[in-house]
Order: sequence, then C-alpha cells, then structure tokens
Amino acid sequence: MRWRYILNIVGILNLFFGLTMVFPLLCGLYYKDASVIPLLESMVSTVGGGALLHLFFRGAKAEVITQREGMAIVAIAWTAIGLTGALPFYLGIENCSFVDAFFESVSGATTTGASILTDIESVSKGLLFWRSFIQWLGGMGIIVLSVAILPFLGVGGMQLYKAEVPSPVPDKLKPRIRDTSMILWKVYALISLAQVVLLLLGGMSLYDALCHAFTTMPTGGFSTRNASVAHYNSVYLDTVIIVFMVLAGINFSLHYQVMRGRPLAFWRDSECRFFLGAVLVLVLLVSFDVYGAVYRSVGQALRYGSFQVVSIVTTTGFATADYEKWPAMSQLILLLCMFLGASAGSTGGGMKCLRVMLCFKFCYKELFLLIHPRAVTHVKIAGKAVPNDVIRSVLGFMSLYMGLFALSSVVLSGLGVDFMTAVGAVAATIGNIGPGFGMVGPVDNYALIPEMGKWLLIWCMLLGRLEVFTVIILLVPEFWRK
Amino acid sequence: MKIVIVGAGEVGFHIASHLAHENKDVVVVDKNADALRRVSENIDVQVILGSGSSPVVLMEAGINSAEIILAVTNKDETNLVACLMASMLSPSTKKLARIRNADYDHYHEHFQQHAPHIDTVINPEIEVVKTIDRLMQVPGAVDVGEFADGRIKFIGVYLEKTARLAGVQLSDLPSIFGDERPLIAAVVREDELIIPHGDDRLMAGDLVYFISEEDKLYAALSVFDKHSQPLNRVLIVGGGRIGFRLAALLDQRSIQSKIIERNPDRCSLLAQKLNKVVVLCGDGSDQSLLAEENIQDTDVVITLTDDEETNILASLLARRMGAHKTITKISKFSYLSLMTTIGIEQVVSPRLSAINSILQHIRRGKVISAISIKGEQAEVMEAVALETSDIVSKPLKRMSFPKGAIVAGIIRQEKIIIPSGESVIEPGDRIIIFATRKAIPGIEKIMAVKLEFF
Repeated sequence: MRWRYILNIVGILNLFFGLTMVFPLLCGLYYKDASVIPLLESMVSTVGGGALLHLFFRGAKAEVITQREGMAIVAIAWTAIGLTGALPFYLGIENCSFVDAFFESVSGATTTGASILTDIESVSKGLLFWRSFIQWLGGMGIIVLSVAILPFLGVGGMQLYKAEVPSPVPDKLKPRIRDTSMILWKVYALISLAQVVLLLLGGMSLYDALCHAFTTMPTGGFSTRNASVAHYNSVYLDTVIIVFMVLAGINFSLHYQVMRGRPLAFWRDSECRFFLGAVLVLVLLVSFDVYGAVYRSVGQALRYGSFQVVSIVTTTGFATADYEKWPAMSQLILLLCMFLGASAGSTGGGMKCLRVMLCFKFCYKELFLLIHPRAVTHVKIAGKAVPNDVIRSVLGFMSLYMGLFALSSVVLSGLGVDFMTAVGAVAATIGNIGPGFGMVGPVDNYALIPEMGKWLLIWCMLLGRLEVFTVIILLVPEFWRK
Repeated sequence: MKIVIVGAGEVGFHIASHLAHENKDVVVVDKNADALRRVSENIDVQVILGSGSSPVVLMEAGINSAEIILAVTNKDETNLVACLMASMLSPSTKKLARIRNADYDHYHEHFQQHAPHIDTVINPEIEVVKTIDRLMQVPGAVDVGEFADGRIKFIGVYLEKTARLAGVQLSDLPSIFGDERPLIAAVVREDELIIPHGDDRLMAGDLVYFISEEDKLYAALSVFDKHSQPLNRVLIVGGGRIGFRLAALLDQRSIQSKIIERNPDRCSLLAQKLNKVVVLCGDGSDQSLLAEENIQDTDVVITLTDDEETNILASLLARRMGAHKTITKISKFSYLSLMTTIGIEQVVSPRLSAINSILQHIRRGKVISAISIKGEQAEVMEAVALETSDIVSKPLKRMSFPKGAIVAGIIRQEKIIIPSGESVIEPGDRIIIFATRKAIPGIEKIMAVKLEFF
C-alpha cells in the first residue's frame, strides 16, 4: 500500500469534484439567492484542499495501481467526496448539524435520496440544485467521470473503475477503459437530456426539469418539492418519470448498443428480460392488490401502483402515494423490491437482478444434482457457462449483503427505533432507495433518526453504492498487513 | 488504431502491455481464462475468451475494424488458421504470425502471396540466432542492433571501473576524442534510463548505448576499453531448435564448435545433420564434462536449453571455469533484471526478439526497424522521413520534439550524419530515433504523413 500515492490521487479526485461546484454556483448566481456565499466557500475549500493534498504528495508516482490500492482509493475518495459535498449544506442551511449535512451529501452521492430536510421548499435554489447535481454525478460515478476526463489515470484507471462499478461479469465496451467511461457518460448525459426535454413539455419549469432529470437517471430520488413527484399530480409527468426510471435501471451498455442501431439489444439480454419481466409482474400484482382496497378505478390503481413499484425496484425512491397505507402484500412486495434492485451496469442499487438470477439458477442446479447425482451441469447465462469463481463471488456478495442488513438493522433498533423503521431504513439505505417504512416512510424523512443511527445509515449507503466489497474490505485486518 | 492479439502468453502479454501504454486499442484473445485474467488485471485492454482460430471469436474481437492482427500463440497451426480466417473476414487487416517450426522456413514467401496472406512471418528463433551472432562478433557488447542494412550498429556496453571514460563529463568528449567520439544515445544507471545531456557524467557500472558506423565500430569500442577478442572456439549447451540453427551457422563458418545435448536421440539427429561440429551427449552443468572439453580455452559459451535455471547455472559455471564470454538464453522477463546482479551480462531472449520484430511492423509512418531495450522502457527505431511529415525541413532545435526522445543519426544516401541542433532532416533521409516509451506516441505523430496535404 503506497499511502502517499493513494492520497495524491484522492487529492486530484477531490480537486476535480470541487470544480463541479461551479454549476450550482452559476445557478445560485442566476437566482441571486443565499446559496452563493456558502457554495463559493465550499468550492474554494474543496478545490484548495484537493490541490494541497495533491501538491503535498505529488512526488509519489506509480505506473500501476494494485487492486487493493484501487479499492482503498475509491473508498477513501467517496468518503472525502461525501464530506466536501456536505459543506454547502452545512454552511448554507440554518440549524443544520454536521452529521445532517454529511447524511444529505452521502445520500446524494450514493443516489439514495434519503433526506433529513423537513421543509425542502424553504432551501435556496442553488443548494437544491447542488443536492440534485451531486446525485447525477454519483449515479454514473465520479471516478468513472474522472477516468474519462483525466488522462493520467490511464492503466490505474481500470482498477478504480472496477472498484467503483463492480459487476459480477465485467464488460468493457471499448478496449480502453477511458473510452468505455467516456461512452457510458455520454449515453447517460444524452438520456438525461431527453428526459429534461420531455419534462419541459409536461409543463415543468426548466429548473425543476433539470433537477428531476438529475435525480431520475442516477435512480436517486431527491425532489425539489416537499411532496416529491406527487406535487405535480400529472399523469403525463408520472409516465415520463416511470419510463426514465426503467431506462436508468437497465444496463447502460445495452443503451449504447441500442443507440448504435441494434434495437433488439434489450430483448436479447437475459438479465434485461428478467428485469423487465419482474417489473411487469410486480406492477400487476401491486396494482391488483391496491385496486378496490385503496383506489376506486383501475386506472388509478395502475398509475400509483406502477409508479411506486418502478420507483422502488429501480431504487429511485420518488413517491406519488403513501404506500404505508396500502395492504400488507403490496408493502411486502415493495420491501422485497428494495433487495432485488435494478440491473448490473445500471445506475440502480440493490443486489442487482443479475446476481439474483444467478442465485436462482445456482439453486436450481443444486436441486438438479440431487436428482441426478452424476450429472455434469453448468450455470448458464445466455447460453454461456458462468465460471465458478463468478458464482462464488455472487454468493459471497449476497451473504455479506444480507448479513450486513441483519446486523445494521439490529444495531439501529438498539438505538431506540421501532421494528418497521429499523428494517425499512436499513433496507432503503443499503439498497440506495431512499424512503423506507415506519418513521422514514414516503411522507416522512430521516430527520428524527438518532445521531448514531445517522452515522450507521451513512455507512450503509456507502456500502450499497460501492457494492459492499470495496468498503467492507477496509475492515478486514488482512487488508492492512504489509 | 485497433490491434487484435491472438495468444495471451508471454509474447502476447508483453506486446499488449507495450501497445496499451501507447494508448492503442488492443483486444487480446485466448482460450485460457487464467492467462486472460492476468492480462485484464494488469493491462488496459479488452479480453475475449475463445480460440483465436475461430471466425466467431474473431468477429467478436472486431476483426473488421482492426488494423493489425498478431497471431502469437505457441502453436504454429493456430496462428496460421487465425490468419487464414482473418484474411477471409477482413482482407484489409495486416496480418503478422509467429511461426517457429523450421519446416515452414521456405514457405514464408508463399504465405505472403497465397492463401493466408500473412504480411510478415516472425520466427523468433531466426532472430535469436542473428542476435547471438552479433553478440559474438562485437566484443563486450550486451546489446547489438543493426540499422541501415547493418551499416550502422547500435551497441550497449557496460562501463568498467578501469575504463577511461568512467567519470568523464559528456561535454568533454570532443576535446578528448575529437571526431572519433561515439554518439552516446542513452545511459542506464541503476535500472533507470537517462537520455544524457552535455553536463552529465558517465559513471562506472553504467550501461551505455551508443551508435556507430560499422567500419568505425572497433575504434568506438576501444574508446570504451573493449578490445576485440578472437572467436575460434565456441561451445553450445542445449541442442534444441535454436541450438541447432546456431550450430548449423557456425558449421558453415569453420569456427571450431561443440554442442552439448542431454537427449541421446536428439544427439544422433544433430550428428547426422551437422558436419564439423562436435556433438557431445551429456549435461551442460556437469563440471567434469566441461573440464574435459577444455572450457578454459573456449571463447564463447552459449547456453540455450529449454530450462532457464540450467542456462543461468551453466553460464555461471563456465565463466567460473575460465570461459571468456557467455551468452545466456532467458525467456522469463522477470529474470532479465536480475542478470547483471548475478554477473551474467550477455543475454538473449526469443520472446524479446519476437516482440522487437513485431514492433517495427506496428509503427505508423515508414518505420524500417525498431528495437526495444532495457525491459521495454525505451525503443530505438529507424524510419524514413516522409516529405509531408512534421520532422522535415526544419533545424532540429526548432522542432517541438517530444521530451525523452532524440534523433541519434541521419542517413543520407551513403553518408551518416551525427546530428546537432542545426541539422536539418531532408525528405527521404533515414533517421534513427531513440525514444523512451512515453515519448513514442509523440514521435509517431511527427513522423506520420499529414492528412491535410492530400
């Protein structure tokens, strides 16, 4: 572990992150609101801090980054980004404690969308823009963006990329990681732009359209309104947001293929089929369940049912209805959706469809082997055998994920939170969804969680965004041994 | 520029790493998942699991958009079929294949004209024998390259403590040697490559690279206190493919040579094919056998068995017993950096030879040959200065030359010019450029023909 080198890179990444604060700053200047000073202060200190770190350790150079160093860089950089991203909230919002600001910032960067703000509409526009923008950056990944833009990361960029975008089956769109990152960001920006246009057509103001597109595409879920998307009460806007949430939940390399003129790419990919199929079945189940019990007409049941299912399963977390008033089955389905998550290679969180699918297939294979003990069989995806080490890492991931979920919810309930809240809050933060159940339901927020609980949930959000291994590995003593 | 490499062995791995460092788009294909993992974890390239000879896999690797395909697996057959399929799927792609079996030697031309249309056949064994031959000829050299059809040599020598040049500042060279001074292109000191300036000093223990015309070579070497030694008696350890090729070459030159081979069957085959060479059956690291064969009077001992460790030990043993010079075959790159430490100076590597011969074919512009030195940290290339490139018609000092690169020589018709800041390169000149790895993309850029000209 070359710490000087690691800190050097973390410095550069922070410097780069600080520079992106220029966008909310411009927005604040345009509206001439109170956010200009805190944003300027944060930007100067972030850029300055990053530059100092880089200059201080600039002597430390390396041609290759080991996997271990890559993980350390990504985990440390994300924590640092969470801290510096919190500065505008800490400086700009009255009575905002540091842990609250940190919570809000990490919730943004990890695309969770859990908020501690009770009255969102009272916050200045510049800060709300930053709140949405940080989600957009975090969605496709700040480090992926750096790899695409900063040339010197070169070969080392690959280790960083792997640590930030872990995927059970890695896929590289182009031979060079820089080109791959660039393509992903371009596709991401293009779809976001399309959404802005469609939202504008639905009568949203440009500011709201930008902020909502910035939080839909990364499956984030921050809104500029207290009542989230329900504020607009428009079937058209609901539909647009549903469609783009689904798009954000699909592997971005498939979007790239579709854009390159292969319209059937979605259908040919077995994970995507599984994801779309699951979404359809769950939407129908929930809509059927709420029809009659909550809503009088089929149309309404479908509208609210589908919005909520898609919002939770893609781990976005927008709300148009208070699903805590829905029947038990719908609530349970939504809870399970939090675990299922979106596709691998998408901006969504959760355990990811691909892993769940591999797990199902593996279980089937085990059953099959009980019936035919001498059979030779492989777990296959799209007709290709999946190597055993991939299966092993998927099973390891799922056990760790469930184990950490169990542990964290026990600890959270120990801090004085009720049962439903503990389970819901941990599931919603580790899966990067946002709204949970109980005290943190769709019409409430995280302000009332005790301070220690907030620290725990911050940790859960980082675990979820970096897909467990990159963060948890820092706790393994072996990692620190020379 | 996209390049498909079939085979992720040592050769494939190192070429891929070389090219990825130059920011080329590289796709590596191999059947072995472990070899591929090693590639994808260390190098920024795309990897594809599958047989390189399969058309489906080649299509997946994007052969249609590739400029070059390199077939460098350890199987000649796979390489041939990969090129055959590539020529069907994408005729415009340049094809290079590594083919080692000597039986194919006479068909290299056919491969170019007929079915697989392989643009260049690379046989590292032929290259290695050539390298050994050069190392034998040049006293004290640890690295010998040839440019301008052999008229210019590129030589690497170690500076000994007693050498006159140890401690001399480079700017003093003209006053000591006048016009006979060698052109020093680079110095390797403690594993670091330095492109020296006038105020740098040469130190004992440095590996000095210089350029010299063929007829002035011995004069140049004597500047470094390396004097020519007679080459009368040669002992080859290991009668494999390279050993046999070398022995056959020496056979024609009436140099007294002996070859030691362990396998009796192979010995009898060697004895059938060789005339004057003495074939001995035994172990190259057997002290009594070496003593019996007068090792102390041998001018060069060349160890060429398949086993790296045996080669190293046999060379050390021979040196200890009084052999004047040893040349050791090493294939594992990780050993190369160790060699000076344990006292083995002259090393040849078939894989490095393969990489060198492949490199010159992937360079853009009109590169005639390229040699990579010092564990691939730097490269020397010989190229034709094209009329429309940035490099011509400007004095060198006014050119924005990439950092870490120098023009080491200009060949104009029959003349060889050692350039200064005032020199101007004319179209059609052949130039020898020495460049560190980082400077190579910049060099390629100034060498290339500007498109807007057309």
